[in-house]
Amino acid sequence: MGTLLQQIINGLSLGSVYALIAVGYSLVYSILLFSNFAHGGFLVIGGYICYGILKTFGTNIWLAGGLSLAGAGIAAVLTERLAYRPIRERTNVTLYLLIASMGMSIVIENIFVIVAGGRFRALPPVIPTAPINFFGFATTSAFDLLSLVSAVVFLGALQLFLLKTRWGLAIRAAAYDLRTAGLMGVNVNRLISIVFFVAGALAAVGGIFLSVRYTLYPQLGAITIKAFVAAVIGGLGSLPGAVVGSLILGLAEMLTAGFISSQMRDLVVFSMLVITLLVKPTGLFGKSVSEKV
Amino acid sequence: MSGYTEGIIILLCINAIAAMGVSLLTGFTGIFSLGHAAYMALGAYTTAILTIQHGVHWFPAILCGGIVAVVVAYLIGVPTLRLLGDYYAIASIGLGEAIRLILENWQSVTRGARGYPGIDPYTTLPVAAGIFIVLAIGMFNLINSRFGRACKACRDDYIASSLLGFNTARIRVVSLMISAFYCGVAGALLGGFLSFIQPVMFDMLKSTELTAVVVFGGLGSMSGALLGTAVITLVTELFRPISQYRMLIYGAVLVIVMVIRPEGIMGNRELLSWIKAPFRRKA
Amino acid sequence: MTAFFELSNVTKNFGGVQAVSSMSFSIAKGELTGLMGPNGAGKTTIFNLISGVYDPDEGSILFKGEDLVPLKTYQVTSRGIARTFQNLRLFQRSTVLENVMTSAQYHIHYTFAEGMTHLGRWRRKEKEIHEKSMDLLSRVGLADRAEQAAGTLPYGHQRRLEIARALALDPELLLLDEPAAGMNAEEVGSLNVLIRDIHRDFNLTTLVIEHHMDLVMEICPHIICMNFGAKIAEGTPDEIQNHPEVLRAYLGEEEVE
Repeated sequence: MGTLLQQIINGLSLGSVYALIAVGYSLVYSILLFSNFAHGGFLVIGGYICYGILKTFGTNIWLAGGLSLAGAGIAAVLTERLAYRPIRERTNVTLYLLIASMGMSIVIENIFVIVAGGRFRALPPVIPTAPINFFGFATTSAFDLLSLVSAVVFLGALQLFLLKTRWGLAIRAAAYDLRTAGLMGVNVNRLISIVFFVAGALAAVGGIFLSVRYTLYPQLGAITIKAFVAAVIGGLGSLPGAVVGSLILGLAEMLTAGFISSQMRDLVVFSMLVITLLVKPTGLFGKSVSEKV
Repeated sequence: MSGYTEGIIILLCINAIAAMGVSLLTGFTGIFSLGHAAYMALGAYTTAILTIQHGVHWFPAILCGGIVAVVVAYLIGVPTLRLLGDYYAIASIGLGEAIRLILENWQSVTRGARGYPGIDPYTTLPVAAGIFIVLAIGMFNLINSRFGRACKACRDDYIASSLLGFNTARIRVVSLMISAFYCGVAGALLGGFLSFIQPVMFDMLKSTELTAVVVFGGLGSMSGALLGTAVITLVTELFRPISQYRMLIYGAVLVIVMVIRPEGIMGNRELLSWIKAPFRRKA
Repeated sequence: MTAFFELSNVTKNFGGVQAVSSMSFSIAKGELTGLMGPNGAGKTTIFNLISGVYDPDEGSILFKGEDLVPLKTYQVTSRGIARTFQNLRLFQRSTVLENVMTSAQYHIHYTFAEGMTHLGRWRRKEKEIHEKSMDLLSRVGLADRAEQAAGTLPYGHQRRLEIARALALDPELLLLDEPAAGMNAEEVGSLNVLIRDIHRDFNLTTLVIEHHMDLVMEICPHIICMNFGAKIAEGTPDEIQNHPEVLRAYLGEEEVE
C-alpha cells in the first residue's frame, strides 16, 4: 500500500515534468501544425544555463532558474526566427519545417557536446531531495513534491495566460486557424514568437527538474520523445491532452519500475504509443485534422 | 584496386541503396521518418541470424532481411499513415527506440549491446555493386511509372489526389514498405561488409544521416539522392579526423538547405532527364 | 425509377452553423445543371458532401441508385464522379502534362512489377496515358503548354487544366466548382463554349456551381438556386430569372459584382 502510494506520487511528479515539455510542444504543434523536434534542445539549453549560473555565481536557484527560463525562451524564439520563419514565409510545406527542426535539434545538442563536453553533470544541491514521510503511509522525496507543485504552478499560469490575456485569446484563435487569426489583425509573427518563448521557458523548467533527477548531459533532450508520445496519447495539438497523456505516461513508467522491472519502463512507453496508434490514433482529446477544400 | 578503395565503393553502394529508399519516402511521397536505421537493423540482424544460426545462404537471407523490414513497416504504416499530421514521424522515433531496446535486451537471439560478430563477409564488391544496380534500375523505373506519379500526387496535394481516385493511405503505406525493403537490404549488406553488427550502429544518428543525404541531394530527385550519398560518404571519409564536428555539420546542412534551397542540389529534376526526355516523348 | 443522381434531405452543420439544411434535388442523366446562389450559400459544401470530403449529418446522396454517403473520397471517384476545385488544387510543381497524366492513368492499368521493370505492358500503356492526356490538353487548348510547370500558368488556363484533369477520369458526372472565378469577360465566354461542348461530346451529366447569374443562365437549361444552405428555387432559366426569392437573394449582391 505504502509503495503503491509512493510510486503514484513519483509517477505524477515525473508525469508533471513531461507535461511541462509536452504542453510547449503541443502549443507549437497546434499553431504551426508541425512537430518541432528541436523542442528537446530548449530543455537542454535551460538546464545548462541553470547549471552555469549556479556554478559561476553561487547558488541562488531563483535567479538561476529565472535566467534559465528566459534564456531558453529566447533561444526558442531565435530558433524560430532563424530556421523556421524563412521557410514559413515562403511555403506551407510542413515537411521542410520538420527537417529544419531536426537539423536544429542536432545543432543544439552538438554545440553542447563541443562546448561543454559529453560529461554527465550534477546540478549543485539547490533543490531539496530529502525524504518526506506521509503520515506513516509512504515516503517520498521533497524533490518529487516540489517538481509536482512547480509543474502545477507553471501549467496554471499558462492556463491563466491563455484564458485571461489578449495574446492568450489570439493564440487560441490561431490554434483554430492561423490564417484567420492573421486576417483578424493579429500580428502573426509576434504571436508565433510569443508561443515559442512560452514553449522554450516551460521546457527549461522541465530541463532543470530532469537534470536534478537524471543529471545533465547534451543528449538529455532525447527525453522529449516521451513528451511526444504523451502528446500523441493525449491527442496531437491538444493542451489538456498533453497534460493528461503526460500524467498517464509518468504513472505507467513509475508503476512499471516499482512493480515489474525498471528495464521495462521504456518498453511500456512504446507499447502505449503503439496501442494508442492502433486503437485511437487521434488520442484521448484529439480531433482529426481536416483541410479546407 | 586497393582494399581501401574497394571498401569505399562497397560502402557507397550500401549507403546509396538506403538513400534511394529514404528518397522514395521523403522526397517523392513527402513522409518524414526519424527511424529508418531501424529497418536497416532489421535487415542486418535477420540476415546475420539466418546465415549464422540457421545456415541459410546469404542471398535468400538478404531477401528475408528486406522482407522482415517490409512487414514491420506495414504494421507501423497502416495505423499512422492514414492520418494527416506527424503521427508517422513520431511513431518512427518510437520504432527506432523499440528496435534498439529489443536488440540490446533479447540476448539469446541478438547477443545484446556488445554486438553480433562473425558474419560471413558475403558483401564483396560484385555483390554490392550488382544488388545496387538492380535496385537502382527498379527504383528509377518505379518513379517513372504510375506508382511514381501517384506518390508525387499524394505528396503535393493529399485531398486533390484522393479526389482523383487515389487511395492515398495505401499509396503512402506501399511507399513506406518499398522504402523499408531498400533499407533492410542495405542493412543486410552492411552486416556482410563489416562482419560485425551492433545495435548502436543503427541509432537515430544513422537515421538522421540517411535523411540528411536525401535532403542535401534534393527532395524529389532520385539522382540527387545518389549524388548526395556520394558527396556525404566521401566528405565523411575525408573529415574523419574532425569527426566530433560531423553531427554539427549534418544538422547545420539540414537547416541551411531548408532555409536557402529546400529542394536540395538537384531540385526535383533528375540528372539524366536530358537522356530520358526524347525517350519519354516517344513513349 | 430512381433518378440518375439524387440528393435528399441533406443537412450539414459546422459547429452551430447550418451550412446546408434539408437540401433535395435530382438530376437526370445527360443534364447540364447549374447550382447558383450568392457567396456563402453552401454550394461548395454540397460538392464536398457529394465527393465525400465531408459526411452529411442527415440525408442521403444517391448516384445511380447507390448511396455515396458511406464511401470514401477515392471510392466516390471510382463510381464515376469527378470534380474541380474553387481554389485550384493543381500539382503546382509538376508540368501541365503530368497533371493530366496523373489522373489519365486511372483507367489505364499495368502492374506494379511492370512499372518497376519497364517490361510487359508498361511502354504501351504509358503511351496510351500520354496520348489520352495530350488529347485532353488539346481539347481545352493547352497542348502547347504541356511541358510548362502548372503553377506558372495564368489563372484562366489553370482552371481549364483542372477541367482536363477531371475529364481524364472518364467521369459520368462532372462537378465544376466556380469554373469562371477570376476570369475576365472574354475568358468566361470561351469557357461557356468549352463547358457546353465537353458536356455534349463526352456524354456527361454536369453540375456547375456558379454565383454569376449570367453564366448559369446562358448555359444551363436546369437551374437550382440556393441561399443560406437551403434551396430557394428550381427550374428553367426563365423561371429562375423572374423568381422573387432569387431576385431577393441576389439583390444588392449584383451591384457589388
